Amino acid sequence: MNAAVMLSALMAAPDAGGSGFDIGRMMAIIFAAVFVNNFVLSRFLGICPFLGVSKQLDSAIGMGAAVIFVLAMAALGCWVVYYLLLVPMGLGYLSTLTFILIIAALVQLVEMILLKYSPGLYRALGIYLPLITTNCAVLGVAVLNIGERYSLGESIVNAIAAGIGFTLALILMAGLRQKLEMADVPPALQGKPIAFLIAGIMSIAFLGFAGMGG
Amino acid sequence: MAEMLKLGLVLMVVSLVAAVALGLVNRQTAPVIAVQQEMAKQAAMTVVAANLSPGDSLAFDSIEVEGLENPYASVNSSLRVVRVTVPPDPQGIGYLFIAYGKGYSSTIQTMVAVDAAGVVAGTTILFQSETPGLGANVTEPGKLIDRLNGITASEAVLTKDGGDIDAMTGCTITSRAVVNSVRAGMDAMDQAGLFSGAAPVDAAHEEAAAEAPPVPEREMAADSALEPAREGGPL
Amino acid sequence: MSLMKDFTNGLFNENPIFRLTLGTCPFLAVTTSVENAIGMGAAAMFVLVCSNFLVSLLRNLIPSEVRIPCYIVIIAAFVTLVDMVMAAYTPDLHKALGIFIPLIVVNCIILGRAEGFANRNPVLNSVIDGIGMGIGFTLAMLLLATFREILGNGTWLNINILGDAYTNQPLLIAILAPGAFILLGFILGVFNIMGNRKGGRR
Repeated sequence: MNAAVMLSALMAAPDAGGSGFDIGRMMAIIFAAVFVNNFVLSRFLGICPFLGVSKQLDSAIGMGAAVIFVLAMAALGCWVVYYLLLVPMGLGYLSTLTFILIIAALVQLVEMILLKYSPGLYRALGIYLPLITTNCAVLGVAVLNIGERYSLGESIVNAIAAGIGFTLALILMAGLRQKLEMADVPPALQGKPIAFLIAGIMSIAFLGFAGMGG
Repeated sequence: MAEMLKLGLVLMVVSLVAAVALGLVNRQTAPVIAVQQEMAKQAAMTVVAANLSPGDSLAFDSIEVEGLENPYASVNSSLRVVRVTVPPDPQGIGYLFIAYGKGYSSTIQTMVAVDAAGVVAGTTILFQSETPGLGANVTEPGKLIDRLNGITASEAVLTKDGGDIDAMTGCTITSRAVVNSVRAGMDAMDQAGLFSGAAPVDAAHEEAAAEAPPVPEREMAADSALEPAREGGPL
Repeated sequence: MSLMKDFTNGLFNENPIFRLTLGTCPFLAVTTSVENAIGMGAAAMFVLVCSNFLVSLLRNLIPSEVRIPCYIVIIAAFVTLVDMVMAAYTPDLHKALGIFIPLIVVNCIILGRAEGFANRNPVLNSVIDGIGMGIGFTLAMLLLATFREILGNGTWLNINILGDAYTNQPLLIAILAPGAFILLGFILGVFNIMGNRKGGRR
């Protein structure tokens, strides 16, 4: 018997598309994405905006909100397109291409919405708004959801939790960097180096969450 | 309006060319990938089941078992089990299953071979993405998984949890994931009566398994979803 | 010799990691071992060179308003190509790099060079720029990976350097997430010192 068939039969893989809404599993996903495997401090996704926008608290919160929205919509869109379009047609290998196009379109949409309803935030975010397209976290979450075979509900929860984790790291960093402006940083470490060192220490702190939440 | 259409058209043309080019490459690489995965899976199954009957060539049949709970995934699927036989004897000498344990930074897949009495005959880690240098060492022979050979389900407990198996230094989470997931699978099989010594599967299922692979539609989706499985596993 | 300048640009003056701070996500994630770093560097360089080539070739054909999505499609196509080829012919490396292979698409270096160089320079210059940036990226990763693997595992390219005593109790944090941040911070600090000294002399 074909071993591939054998082993795919062996794999008790979560049936993608299953509607099992297990609150315990959801809580585990949320806790893991926000604390245990924080997307920025542990998985290294979303570093560019993390460094770029974390200089001030207001823009950090605004950026976080925008990213959470894009993450949730992208997770939804990519999951639906993948399982309802690509897989049935045997086009799984086009996933990277379609995902990034979906994300680019979503970011364009968010830009238009912000420009119309919140031009202040639009200006504050500046170049970093279109850069959400190249935010590793957005594409990363979409790919992760497929890899972990999450159902649609789990994918969206994972995406929102990832966004919350990202925003949390961003806000913490912004707060620290605002304080840092008064501190006496050695000239060699001013700017990016000290930011990375702080991120490293924050990462150590988050390591303490390891193993919690099952 | 015409401007937007023209822009949209350019984008569409570029995308189509890209998609077609990728389709051609896929034609080339997909069979290679499939062959490789096939070989890896065969190798894993043969290695793990070897202890069940050393020196004999084995046959693997996927079986459906009534009342077999799935302790791992979401509510819908049941635990898949493969029965090992030494042809031409149809009597099973053991079973193979994959245990899924939520480790530190990944879901660890452990393939386990158990004999008909419920004693572990062999294990191998199919997939893990744990911390390099720590949990990732679980794949090394001589560490955790070898310790699992020869134990029954009730003995698969870490010392930290009251049993006899020592966790690897500094990787309690990884160790616990592997051990507990193996125990969960074996417990489920025990509850379904697989370890009573007699063949548990009814004849109808057996014939169906022998004739054609019982692959429900979900399996097909899962199969072609195997390619981009990043964290979930290589299979 | 402007071609030479385009090449060395990516190595030092505009090193993508240390000067432009682009592409930090894969840089930090993949440098747990030298082997992975080289693999990722090679993959990223391939995509960078190919996309620079194509973008430069088509620079007069793609209308400006829709250029970013088109570049993204081109880059994504090459990334998928690399993904499939690696899955078929280098499965172990493919598994080790995992999610970061499709993430090459959003590696800011590649889109950055397409938008900032390839779309306004001839094909040969763009290819050379791609090679230079790619080598610069790979060398940077090699540097960090060397630190992380030796400190965190006692090995270099899986060759045991510091002996068994060290390998049993290494400085594990170097190979964990915080180590990447901290080591990069110090490396950037050193680069700052070097840059300041040069500036001071002039």
